[in-house]
Amino acid sequence: MRAGVACFAVALLLTSACANHATRAAGKRMIVLGIDGMDPVFVETHFADLPNLNFLRQRGSFRRLATTIPPQSPVAWSSVITGMDPGGHGIFDFVHRNPATRMPVSSMAETTEPTRSLGIGPYLIPLSGGGVRSLRAGRAFWQMLDEHGIRSSIIRMPANFPPAECEADSLAGMGTPDMTGSFGTFSFYTDDPAEKREKVPGGQIVRVTLRNGRAELAIAGPPNQMRRDRHSTSVGLTVSVDPTAQTARFDTQGRQFILQQGEWSEWVRTEYSLIPHVNSVRGIFRVYLQQVHPYLRIYVSPVNIDPEDPALPISTPRDYSRNLATAVGPFYTQGIAEETSAFRAGILSKSEFLVQSRKVLTDNLKMFRFELDRFQDGLFFYYFSSVDQNSHMLWGRYDSDLLEIYRDVDRAIGQAVAKAGTDTPLLVISDHGFAPFNRAVHLNSFLMREGFLTLDDPTKTGDEELFTHVDWSKTVAYAIGLNGVYVNLEGREAGGVVPEADKRLVLERLARRLVEFKDPETGKRVIERVYFPEEAFQGRNLKYSPDLLVGFRRGYRASWQTALGAVPPEVLEDNTQAWIGDHCMAADQVPGVLFSNRPLRTAGPHLWDITASILGEFGVPKANGMIGQSVF
Amino acid sequence: MEMLNWFIDSILLVVHVFLSFAPRLVGLTIVAASIGAGMLWVFGRTSDQERMKQVKRRVQASLLELRVFVDEPAISLRAQGRLIAANLNYLALALRPMLWMGVPIALLLIHLEAFYERAPLALAEPALVTMRMTADWIPSAPPPVLIAPSNVTILGPPVRVAASREVSWRILPYSPVSDRLLFRYNGQEVAKWLEAGDRQRYVTGRRVRSRWETILSPGETRMRSDFAEWIDVRYPSADLRIFGFHVNWLAWFLIVSMATALLLKKRLGVVL
Repeated sequence: MRAGVACFAVALLLTSACANHATRAAGKRMIVLGIDGMDPVFVETHFADLPNLNFLRQRGSFRRLATTIPPQSPVAWSSVITGMDPGGHGIFDFVHRNPATRMPVSSMAETTEPTRSLGIGPYLIPLSGGGVRSLRAGRAFWQMLDEHGIRSSIIRMPANFPPAECEADSLAGMGTPDMTGSFGTFSFYTDDPAEKREKVPGGQIVRVTLRNGRAELAIAGPPNQMRRDRHSTSVGLTVSVDPTAQTARFDTQGRQFILQQGEWSEWVRTEYSLIPHVNSVRGIFRVYLQQVHPYLRIYVSPVNIDPEDPALPISTPRDYSRNLATAVGPFYTQGIAEETSAFRAGILSKSEFLVQSRKVLTDNLKMFRFELDRFQDGLFFYYFSSVDQNSHMLWGRYDSDLLEIYRDVDRAIGQAVAKAGTDTPLLVISDHGFAPFNRAVHLNSFLMREGFLTLDDPTKTGDEELFTHVDWSKTVAYAIGLNGVYVNLEGREAGGVVPEADKRLVLERLARRLVEFKDPETGKRVIERVYFPEEAFQGRNLKYSPDLLVGFRRGYRASWQTALGAVPPEVLEDNTQAWIGDHCMAADQVPGVLFSNRPLRTAGPHLWDITASILGEFGVPKANGMIGQSVF
Repeated sequence: MEMLNWFIDSILLVVHVFLSFAPRLVGLTIVAASIGAGMLWVFGRTSDQERMKQVKRRVQASLLELRVFVDEPAISLRAQGRLIAANLNYLALALRPMLWMGVPIALLLIHLEAFYERAPLALAEPALVTMRMTADWIPSAPPPVLIAPSNVTILGPPVRVAASREVSWRILPYSPVSDRLLFRYNGQEVAKWLEAGDRQRYVTGRRVRSRWETILSPGETRMRSDFAEWIDVRYPSADLRIFGFHVNWLAWFLIVSMATALLLKKRLGVVL
């Protein structure tokens, strides 16, 4: 009997020791909600409709939260993750450029080739090395918490693909690719002869032919990394349409489903064979049957990485995404899942876009509630993308639709407020606000007009991307991305012509011209301010930094053509696209929000102060290079 | 065929009445073990046990020879030859019991599929019902009318698939069902059994018109219809888990039945 009691006591001691090892939060808890793009002015205008945010304002605190230069989501969230400015974490845009080629590359992650492979016939089996790695410098704050034994759940953090390695439960957010490796490529299948396009930004349009009421759709998958030729994989989706009714049956890999016109499918699981019967990868997609007669119109979402069997690392621990999917069902893993591309291309109407983006939010809310219920101690971070993506398409024109999204997010905030109670600090933050996007600025065309950029033939202006007709021997500066201008620097750019000694002079002259640039239609300045990275940033990790960062005034933004290095004939034009709201402007034009259920000490908090606040709350010292101060 | 199906189903249904309250894995394990024991008994009765004993002794002798005369290539080669011959002899002797058991076991597995391969439809999840029409069907003509039990909703109009002469409906059971779907066409009526809910039960995927196809689609009587060749309900796969891992029911069946036979062979005095 005594021996039994002793064994029980030892077991109890061991158990409690293990529990202490698992988390040293010592009962401390903190909740941080990241609401991408939540705008302080919109919130202030609609406090009456947003009871939970209003509650936080009245009982806690509400501040404008200063954003990063430039105010782009990957840049801003990287600052939250690392507590550094862009000069520290090294992310300056959605895209960077490779100086050797001046071609755009992802700023967030890169894939690396295997170091050793075994070739068997057409196949190439990787033996070691290879994969995908994050390009963000600095340590994620939850890695630091983890080192101090503090548990955290970091769900859908942007710019966290592949997720930072640690023991925390984390799921990658914005920046997570689809199965083709892009940020999201939809497919649209039609036999409508009026549809002549083959490619649109973010999507492909495929002509199909119905034979005896049946058509075969090829759903594109990833390039086959197991083959020497990297041949793209695909799976078949057979659609059989009813002769007269607006309904169709779909068959793929032994599964069948029926859709009526205007209906979305549930998630469809698919398997791409890499080596037949040996190796395959799994994805999930959704189908929208837009129309059956007289012409077939079918939208297929980007094929998302299947969270139950992810082809790429999307979570830590690796099986976390599987456990989550088992609990709440399959969900969008693609970083930016709202289908703005198809809306912009006129494939989806506004109401269809709203239905799709509502599905993304529904997935998100389901996961949020599940994780919030599970949350016991340590840190809980959850990110919502819907406000941002819907603001891009609805800003200033469809306020009531946008308010619905804000309301849903406000309800989720209410659940977090209830969970936090009085003893758990809660922060609700956004990375930037919003502004109208009325006029598109073709920065490369401006540079050409001002004599900084020269074409090999001045008549060859247009939408051709990637500087097709630029004469680099006569070009001093070029623009790529949404806020960046680069000097064609000798020794850095291939065939660069500006000596290092002249760089500053060129930039100062260019900065003056940019600031003086006026819209001929209004006579007002287009650019609020221009930033020199050495002055704007404290960090010196400027390898990929633009030489000048352009801060547009509200209403103006770099054109889509600028982002990918095109030189259209006009310098400015009206934005006639469905994408009507944006934030890639001067940082002080689009601040974010900071709500808390606690009083805040800081009057003008910055994004990197959030990192310091989280670490401070758990008593974890800041790392070198972190520049923020706690807001509490 | 229908009599045979009825006979096998009746036996299995009686067995499953007793097992339906146990978890699916337990039921399958008991069935597999019983069939394994039965197969062993049949093997013992239908095989030439004396000759099998002799052949096995020859195999053992050849193996011993190989081990002892490892340095004598000529003897080793002869021993290997005798080993192959003995093995072929063993396979020939095993052929007769296999022929005796092959057809009954195949039939049993087809019937067991209805218990262990398919699960009833999940509630509140849409499922597809498909009817294959006869060759004289005109796809543009009005489709058959489906009448579902009161606790099953038919979601939207059917899809007439001209290319494969099929008509598919989407149905949604919202409470447990064990009832018939009725299909009316040109004044005729055919029915298909439908199962939905959590409880383990006999689930027939397809009802057919062809006499021969009833062997592969047991559980329901052959359809007497001028317009339909078969009716199929797309049931989900049954979930069989062992220690949290998904396991194919057939793999588990084979493992348990073989293990049972191996465990019981001495007790029943059967040489395998």
